[in-house]
Amino acid sequence: MKHLSALALGLALALPATVVLAEDTTLVIGRSASTNALDPGFLREAATIVDNIFDTLVMRDENMDLVPGLATEWTSVDDTTWEFKLREGVTFHNGEAFDANAVKFTLDRVLNPDNKAPTISYIRTIDSVEVVDATTVRIHTQGADPLLPTRMSRYPAYIVPPQYIADHGRDHFANNPVGTGAYKFVDFIPDERVTLAANETYWRGAPQIDTVIWRPIPDNTARITSLITGEVDLIEDVPVDLVPLLQNAPDADLVQVKNGGLIVYLGLRMDKAPLDNKLVRKALNHAINRKGITENLLGGLATPAGTQVGVADFGYLDLPVPAYDPDLSRKLLAEAGFEDGFEITMQSSYRYMKNAEVAQAIAQQFEDIGLTVDQEVMEWSVYTQTVPFEGPIYMLGWGSTQTLDADAAVYAIFKSGEPYSGAVVPELDILLEESRQTVDPAAREQLLFQVQELANEEVPLISLYQEDKLLGKGVDVDFGGRPDARIPVFEISKD
Amino acid sequence: MKGFRFLLSRAVQGVIVMFGVSLLVFFALFLTGDPAALMMAPDSTVAEIDAFREAMGFNDPILVQYGRFLAGVVQGDFGNSLRYQRPALDLLSERLTATGVLALSALLWSSLLGFALGAIAAVRKNKPIDFAIRVISLLGQAVPVFWLALMMIILFSLNLRWLPSSGYGTFQQLIMPSVALGAYYLSAITRLVRASLIETLGENYIRTARAKGLTQWRIVVRHAMRNAMIPVVTLQGMYLASLLGGALVTEIIFAWPGIGRLAVEAIQNRDFPVVQAVVLFAAMVFVIANFLVDVAYTWLNPRIRL
Repeated sequence: MKHLSALALGLALALPATVVLAEDTTLVIGRSASTNALDPGFLREAATIVDNIFDTLVMRDENMDLVPGLATEWTSVDDTTWEFKLREGVTFHNGEAFDANAVKFTLDRVLNPDNKAPTISYIRTIDSVEVVDATTVRIHTQGADPLLPTRMSRYPAYIVPPQYIADHGRDHFANNPVGTGAYKFVDFIPDERVTLAANETYWRGAPQIDTVIWRPIPDNTARITSLITGEVDLIEDVPVDLVPLLQNAPDADLVQVKNGGLIVYLGLRMDKAPLDNKLVRKALNHAINRKGITENLLGGLATPAGTQVGVADFGYLDLPVPAYDPDLSRKLLAEAGFEDGFEITMQSSYRYMKNAEVAQAIAQQFEDIGLTVDQEVMEWSVYTQTVPFEGPIYMLGWGSTQTLDADAAVYAIFKSGEPYSGAVVPELDILLEESRQTVDPAAREQLLFQVQELANEEVPLISLYQEDKLLGKGVDVDFGGRPDARIPVFEISKD
Repeated sequence: MKGFRFLLSRAVQGVIVMFGVSLLVFFALFLTGDPAALMMAPDSTVAEIDAFREAMGFNDPILVQYGRFLAGVVQGDFGNSLRYQRPALDLLSERLTATGVLALSALLWSSLLGFALGAIAAVRKNKPIDFAIRVISLLGQAVPVFWLALMMIILFSLNLRWLPSSGYGTFQQLIMPSVALGAYYLSAITRLVRASLIETLGENYIRTARAKGLTQWRIVVRHAMRNAMIPVVTLQGMYLASLLGGALVTEIIFAWPGIGRLAVEAIQNRDFPVVQAVVLFAAMVFVIANFLVDVAYTWLNPRIRL
């Protein structure tokens, strides 16, 4: 028995004590994913946490308008040059001064091919970064890049401290990040928590929440329970089936960010028969009852979409949702020479809201117009290997998250030859390229409208609906969610 | 000398097993494709993904990749995690304590209770209490871990508010994961102890002990239990290793920062080096546990001499 109690004591001692934080306002945030590392230049995950430690040159306010961040103003000097004036008197958490060199260092570090940055594509249009003086930076782009200010508002463009990284190395930095942001890094215990403390000398003012603890809680039920019981104050990723649990809880609220999620669509391999036939694609487009799916299956937590561009995105064209008209679909199929339908494979995974149920419903609706659908539902890590190579129909979600620009919403899935694109429409390629070369916002918006109109006519893929972004929060937390999916704790307060 | 030869042959067998596992885990993962596309930002170009693939060495012939892998493993280097950009072995060892605490606590309580329940059931064979214990242990084996875990969260965290729903660091946070993980073993051990003890209690030497006038409990504890333990020890050796498997589910549900959760997230993200490190680690635990079981046999039963 002595041995047993010794063992029990040993077990108890092996568990580290929990952090005790008295009197401070603490916000505990439950996330579904674990954090791997905190170097904003080399993220392989959403930038939710680092967004609170670091700042970008350009920021977005609650209305998603671009506003000054570490840059006070920016102008397009010529077609391929953007000039940023930098904020003075800002320092990193370690006291290092923020200046033009930090900007150049930040971008060069990601652009250097030797560093194998996973998100280099987000800033690949940059040719070089020129330090004009301590508070002026010029960014030269390879061609015209109208989106450069937007690119400077998201990762990997969070400004990092050159001296600190030179002194301590990248590995140390990834686990002990230092930025200019509203929160300072305190500790990071993998799979357990990331703790941040308020930066009292933040250039936008001292934050209201003193301490933020990010806890990864992968299981949906456990995550929602921890919110309802008050163990955490805010949670990400509320699954549709558990929404009622949250709505019935007296101490917790559902935060529904309308159109804050991805636009779910059916990708089509346009190079494969019979999807190379426009009539067939149109037939499929009209065979789907989007309203029925979003209202009945998804409980109104998604909105039928007529375009791949999000409602909040620059360049959004309010196209009507394709009518649900099985008769028209059958007619179009007959016109295309498929009176008796055909057999086709539709692939999907478990990623989006009620993914498998939605795929099942769509397969049924395709069968209603005479098709024989072979459904393949795959585990996500396998699915990402096959999409878009197999198909010929595959379900995916896409969005412009964080750029809030039509380009990010459509380029990668409309342009032929892109890794996630099954589309082959030469006119679309031309328009997409042209939009990337046009700096003037009005002209660019027109081009993006044309892209969507042409897509509406050619149906390179079938847009289904845009998901809402669902979060949960304690009733004492003041946060309405943001369309760009960020959780800026600086803007959150707690009673 | 005989004992030493036995140990040596066991060690050689262990190495062969580990080599086989390394082959399996490497080629099985290789067959499922390379992770380059998954590691890159969604709007990367084909050229960028190709460059990344080349840089990571995924374009080399499979035997070259395996050779590189094996050479690293022998030196304790499983390569860097693709997601964490840190040595896979470091990630594993960081989580060893959490999984160790969970697995050992589960094994401990389930063994103690299992022995007690099994003994009671054996001694009171075919009485109501035996029947009740058998029904409970049947249920324990039939209920899936994830279901039990979720039910406990709903009952003890959501409704009663007695225990925290997830997390790591306090004794309260250990209770539910440990119960969920140990429940299956409790049932298995109870059933095995019962069956084994009933058999032993029918032996001649037990009758002799009874004839000497010893009390029933003295006979069970002093004479029968030791012999009845032989199959139970085998089971426990296996369990210690397979607890790692149960930990996959338990750790995910209770957000326990252990090896099981690391493994699941690595698989979901195609983080090859981490998957390989975890699988080889689990195989090693199996090999060592089996070895220890063999050693324990000889102590428990002098008839099994090496």
